[in-house]
Amino acid sequence: MLIVDDEPNVCFTLKLIFEQEGFEVTSAGSAAEGIEVLKARRKFDVVLTDLHMEKEDAGLELARRAKELSPPPVLIVLTGYASMHNVRAALDLHVDHFAVKPMELPELLESVRRLAGLRTDARSAGS
Amino acid sequence: MPSVEYIPLKSKNALVVHSDLAILSALQPILSQRGFIPILARDLPTALLAMAQHRFELCILSMAITEKSDGWALAAVLRMCFPHAFVAMIAPEPDLLMLQTAINTGVTQLYLASDPPAVNAEAILRDYSRLAAGHKLQ
Repeated sequence: MLIVDDEPNVCFTLKLIFEQEGFEVTSAGSAAEGIEVLKARRKFDVVLTDLHMEKEDAGLELARRAKELSPPPVLIVLTGYASMHNVRAALDLHVDHFAVKPMELPELLESVRRLAGLRTDARSAGS
Repeated sequence: MPSVEYIPLKSKNALVVHSDLAILSALQPILSQRGFIPILARDLPTALLAMAQHRFELCILSMAITEKSDGWALAAVLRMCFPHAFVAMIAPEPDLLMLQTAINTGVTQLYLASDPPAVNAEAILRDYSRLAAGHKLQ
């Protein structure tokens, strides 16, 4: 799992939670750093990204890059600044889940479990 | 929509769920002409039965199958059953919450209920074809 958020506390907390869930977590503190991690061709099952980072909606570019991977990871967007523009952009990018901060952690956990499981099932069915 | 590689099914079944018979009647021939086998449902029980009997590549849903906004629940179940399907939701002009709900229930794209069925059908089929060909929706 790749977690991208410019708030260190958020990154640290989410990393802890998802490592307890059994994920191997890589974190990045900016969209640019996250994109570099993706470019390094690391395979991720899940990418969880903030939207507003070094610039407004920087996370959308990261999401776009993540979607270009084959197979694309489960893509989850978190933001405290949802707008018609960025939610519409997320829909058009086929983001898997869009959560507005402050989000309920149990709900986020359940969404990740469900989406990651769905992806595994779909991959097995397609093989 | 789950982030899985698009794998087109051999049977191009299209599920259309709408309470308005006129809209179902308008969509059916357009889908047939484009090589789909349209399976129509005017209510949730019929839709669920169809889902139990067929695999679907394309699903076109009304947001309000009944007077409640039950299209979202059906979309979420469709996404669980058919991870690779293109799920089109016909809905009113979306607000922020509607867009977020669309994402979180696995809807691929939203189309305006105020547009004529033929316009929506063409837009849906265009977007479906682009996605199937590996392109992103505009």
